[in-house]
Amino acid sequence: MSSYHLNRFLFDLKMNDQTLKQAAADLDGAINRYELTAEEREALKAGDPRRLRQLGAHGMLALYIMRLNPEFRNNIYWSQK
Amino acid sequence: MAFVAAVAASHAPNILLEPGAEWDEFMALHYRMAPQAGSSKPSLEVQQTLRHDAEKAYATLRADLEAARPDVLIVVANDQFVNFVFNNIPTFFVTLADEVKGQFTRHRFHYRNHKELGRAILKAGMERGINISFGEYVELQHTQTVPLYFLLPEPKIPILPIYVNTWVEPIPTPRRCYQVGELIRKVADGWKERVAILATGGLSHFPGSPRIGEIDTQFDHKLLEILREGKGRALADYSIEEICKAGDSEFLNWMVVVGAIGDAKASQTFYMPDHVATGWGFVSWKI
Repeated sequence: MSSYHLNRFLFDLKMNDQTLKQAAADLDGAINRYELTAEEREALKAGDPRRLRQLGAHGMLALYIMRLNPEFRNNIYWSQK
Repeated sequence: MAFVAAVAASHAPNILLEPGAEWDEFMALHYRMAPQAGSSKPSLEVQQTLRHDAEKAYATLRADLEAARPDVLIVVANDQFVNFVFNNIPTFFVTLADEVKGQFTRHRFHYRNHKELGRAILKAGMERGINISFGEYVELQHTQTVPLYFLLPEPKIPILPIYVNTWVEPIPTPRRCYQVGELIRKVADGWKERVAILATGGLSHFPGSPRIGEIDTQFDHKLLEILREGKGRALADYSIEEICKAGDSEFLNWMVVVGAIGDAKASQTFYMPDHVATGWGFVSWKI
């Protein structure tokens, strides 16, 4: 099955400030706008990049779920692309 | 007028991060893909030595570039989900913007884009059956800005970003990349100005994967030896599987330059594995 919508959400989290803002405030609301499977939604909420990769996310997009992780919120990674 | 200079260099972000806190913070994120890999963290001294050695390598490449007095620098790199995502991934892409910008941490980049040369490459490709995608806007990212920080810090000449899809299956063969390089050379040889080319990326690394931290130094050394011998043409016969197995898919960017330089021998090569992710490689050719 295509992982287009999963990758698309992760890409938007990387490139679109509005998506990031919304996801940080209300992840459920943010991911409701994408056609995701129950498994994909769970993995996004768990915030585990390894699991997302197993579900078909590109590894370098999967890392962007950690933008929502308090431990990594101010990581220097986000100040470059 | 002429094709005057060719260089290739790694674009690993940690080259441009400050050794110490910035570097460690950056890698901590990557290691979420492979927690075991983080145990080999190099000391601050090792990080500083790596940065120093990379600066020396870039300085050599920059001196060669400047000695060739180019009027334009073609930059061959891969997009990493900044301009292209899964709704449309071009195998090759030429930038037809008026200008291009990007940011890397506190560093900002802004260059004129040489779209006239871009159009000439596209048109020559169409005539030879090499149909390349194009577009009028791109945002620069570390795949271009890390090497440009060291090689073209002042935007004295325009650049021309050309993209190769090295990351999203299916990726082009080394042979096709070589052919795109031959095409660029043909156009550059007949061009009214002095054209230089830079390929970025590599060498061996496995970003965004549980193999992060593995570096196939043996494969990298072999690639550099082949380039020193001027036998880059033979690399066109390599399979994608061989190259990807070694974590060298970004070498496809380099293959474009290899196609442009033909049988020229690399005049300088530098190699330093960074112990955390990437085999940093740097090459200059005298044309």
